[in-house]
Amino acid sequence: MAATLNARRAPKRRRRRLHKPLLTWADKKMTAAMVDRLFWRAGYGPSPQDRALWTGKRVGAAVNWLLTTPPTLVGNPPNNGGVPLSPTTSDTDLVLDWLDRMIRSDNPLVERMTFFWHRHFAVSRNDVSPAMMIKHIGLLRSYADVANNATTDFRSLVQAVSIDPAMLRFLTGELNRKGHPNENFGREVMELFTLGVTNAQGQSNYSETDVQELARALSGWQINTTDPANPLAFFTPARWDAGAKTVLGRAGAFDTTQAIDVVLSHPNHAPYLMRKLWGEFIQSPPDDASLNDLAGTYVRRGFRIRPVLRKILTHRALFESIAEPNMIKAPAVFVPGAMRAMSVFVTGSGPRFRMQSMGQEPCFPPDVSGWEYGPAWLDTNTAINRFRLVSELTQNQAVDLVDVPGETPQQAYDRALAAVGQPWLSPATVASIQAYGASAPAGTVTQRRTRLRLLRALMLGGPDGQVM
Amino acid sequence: MNEFSQDVDAIEVLRCADCAASDSAAYDAIPVDYMPIPTEAIAGFPHGVPRMPRVNRHRFIKNGVLGFAAVYAASKIPWQTAFEAAVAEGAVSGNNCLVMLFLNGGNDGPNTFVPTDPAEYNAYLGLRPTIARSNVPLTNVPTPVGLTPMLGIESQLALPNLPGMALAGPAASPGSLKSLWDAKNIALFPATDYPNPNFSHFTSRDWWFGGVLQKSPTGWLGRWLDLYGSTTNPLQAVSIGSNVSKIIRAARAPVASVPETFAQFGFTVNGAPTATVNAQMAALAGAPAGNASTSRSRTVFGQTVQVAGDLAKINVSNGVNYPANSSLSRRLQAAANLLGAGLGTRIVTIDWGGFDTHGGQLGSQDPQLSVLGQALAAFQADLTTRGIAGNVVTCVFSEFGRRAGENASFGTDHGAGGPMQIIGTQVRGGLGGAPAPLSLLDRGNLRVTTDFRAVYGALLSEWMGGDAGAVLPGAPLPLVRADGGNLIL
Repeated sequence: MAATLNARRAPKRRRRRLHKPLLTWADKKMTAAMVDRLFWRAGYGPSPQDRALWTGKRVGAAVNWLLTTPPTLVGNPPNNGGVPLSPTTSDTDLVLDWLDRMIRSDNPLVERMTFFWHRHFAVSRNDVSPAMMIKHIGLLRSYADVANNATTDFRSLVQAVSIDPAMLRFLTGELNRKGHPNENFGREVMELFTLGVTNAQGQSNYSETDVQELARALSGWQINTTDPANPLAFFTPARWDAGAKTVLGRAGAFDTTQAIDVVLSHPNHAPYLMRKLWGEFIQSPPDDASLNDLAGTYVRRGFRIRPVLRKILTHRALFESIAEPNMIKAPAVFVPGAMRAMSVFVTGSGPRFRMQSMGQEPCFPPDVSGWEYGPAWLDTNTAINRFRLVSELTQNQAVDLVDVPGETPQQAYDRALAAVGQPWLSPATVASIQAYGASAPAGTVTQRRTRLRLLRALMLGGPDGQVM
Repeated sequence: MNEFSQDVDAIEVLRCADCAASDSAAYDAIPVDYMPIPTEAIAGFPHGVPRMPRVNRHRFIKNGVLGFAAVYAASKIPWQTAFEAAVAEGAVSGNNCLVMLFLNGGNDGPNTFVPTDPAEYNAYLGLRPTIARSNVPLTNVPTPVGLTPMLGIESQLALPNLPGMALAGPAASPGSLKSLWDAKNIALFPATDYPNPNFSHFTSRDWWFGGVLQKSPTGWLGRWLDLYGSTTNPLQAVSIGSNVSKIIRAARAPVASVPETFAQFGFTVNGAPTATVNAQMAALAGAPAGNASTSRSRTVFGQTVQVAGDLAKINVSNGVNYPANSSLSRRLQAAANLLGAGLGTRIVTIDWGGFDTHGGQLGSQDPQLSVLGQALAAFQADLTTRGIAGNVVTCVFSEFGRRAGENASFGTDHGAGGPMQIIGTQVRGGLGGAPAPLSLLDRGNLRVTTDFRAVYGALLSEWMGGDAGAVLPGAPLPLVRADGGNLIL
């Protein structure tokens, strides 16, 4: 792709602008495969309605819908064993509540982006109270909801997270006071949240002195838990180190807001964040032109998220390898995706523990660096658990297990395929599953039910079900 | 004795709200620490097990569980190298090994080791009118049990009259904790904790697993491995039945996790023959792939079918009867199998149980104690049969103890000073720590008599080797036993 760009690029630098439209497929009319692709990358897979509505429409129109439509929850409200969820008193319910939003949001992008920020600003319920966690996720969601908050920007987000009770607790910012600097949060702000340790050339983005000086600027914040249900951050001037600091080469008596602005002015911030945001949606790394374009837009538009999301979601690279999906589904996409596809709603704790076994449980990141993405999601352990989830879900689909005596193998195949939401299957997979269907015993009710179950499990829980 | 043949893992325990995450043990799910593992590192040898002197594929699969090892911090180690290291280090026999058995949820001390001094026993009855163990049947006691005083210097405490504790187990697995006591194979520290104990499951586990009283990226045995362990052999430290425990989380040293039951590992669909499901999956996995992600997916699913087939052939039984239907039995049996396989394994960690007995304690703790005692006795017998009992020490611990007095739900809440047992033929049996007086509590809690870090220190300096102070900064070393002398014979 980069080679094509370079070949087309004329020697004169200013001509590059002319080729920018090459990067976007906003005006391209979507095939069914492209609709599937967009709704997997920006959500949890397409519904039959999504496919019907968007096939033949332009990429830009669908992306605009995703970016401007406030989500509505549709389908059966969740419960845990018949009892309404209580996220404030049960961690299981806390996880299930989020999973339910992923499953039932008609516009899924908000939950995808909320989870992206959760990956980015990872805080674990193990270390903060349920109320802090709920407030924290709510904060992330308000910034992820670019439909309701069109002008939401990363600067405001990182400022808000810096004085969020959950983050003050998780990275011990509440212990950071004048004369007793605690570097925990200051370090992660630069290392994980805004800059990365090194730039693309391998040079350090900041020094240990910068960490220490930044920590001094961030001091003074504590948490008021008088009302445990509503933890509040507060600032005590006497705990703040008001002295002069030098952060990233700039001197001043910075406070939290000013110091974060200094960090965000670092030249590696925009490429760092854009690369990570791109990687949430697109498998191949961005070529230089695309990254520069994104970083430039991001800075020019005042760190706003929606303009760059629009560029990424309409980027032609989103549709690369369209005949064979090329991104591994993370558990937090696979599980709600499978449940959406099978129209199974949250009725018990099972999916929470499956997500644990797959290595990704919302609200419980392994550490502050969040979860890694990519091929590492699949190992022999997690493969079993992914299949097992689908296998268990097939038993929840009682209505679709209605026995049809005399159903032909092809009819059974078609019914199974519809019951799991018509997922992508490679030609070889189709042939293999159909061969099973043709050979499976179907003389009794039990045999026909088993055939239906296994057909579905192989379609959605097998190797092809893991990619999007 | 039929009641003990049920699967104690399935026992429902009433839990407080913030304990929901500790349910993971009861569900056999993974602990919160997790790192996605590259396929190359967990799937064994993609090109088959390399030929090595003395070890062929058959022996390898039979003895080892390397075919399915999830490796932490080992992603850069080629499997050929890891295997060679395992075989080379396995050749060094006689290395001392440590099994860390974590009782998940906070095991209650006074009902596991009951005071026998008359004044202490009266205090115990006063604190626990409903759930006290007694010679005399009381109203509201679901399972009245008697007292069997321990022998010799242990006469301050008694084991409950439960099969597998003071009593012999059911005929199928007759061992008991008392048999290990009588053989002087247990050093008991009845009230272990750290100063100003924190009653959060997570904080306490962090401290106990990390071996330091602060947030630590590494576990205490992980740090030991970094200093004294192998740089190449991930099987030197293995978590069985869970993902890699924080106890062995290292900065550099490779460690691994393996499943507890090899035969149950595979793709299953309700009603469908397992062979059919796996044959179909193998067919799907064999399809050609057009990009790296589908290739990865098909490869992993194919390896899973293959590994499941290999693991199903392993017969881990050594003729020793473990209590039936318990994941603890399966994990200890896998541990014995691994320790006896000569693959350089020095450390095994096992998480087990739901000891967070906020309510209905007798109904939930008793069956678990029964299984615990029987399984530990069976494990010792298994090690003896394999000829490695002299090389293995087992440490049984929990993240905290429980409140001295019972609560309104016939259970006990999070408290200080849980019991810690060090078990093995090379251990100097006896009462290593003083029992916490029930007549002299600290705000309703037991008074801690032993800092767990001191016991860790003795396990290192006297058993595993190395500088305990370097591994356990801030620990009160050395261990001072209530009955004097060393931890190890």
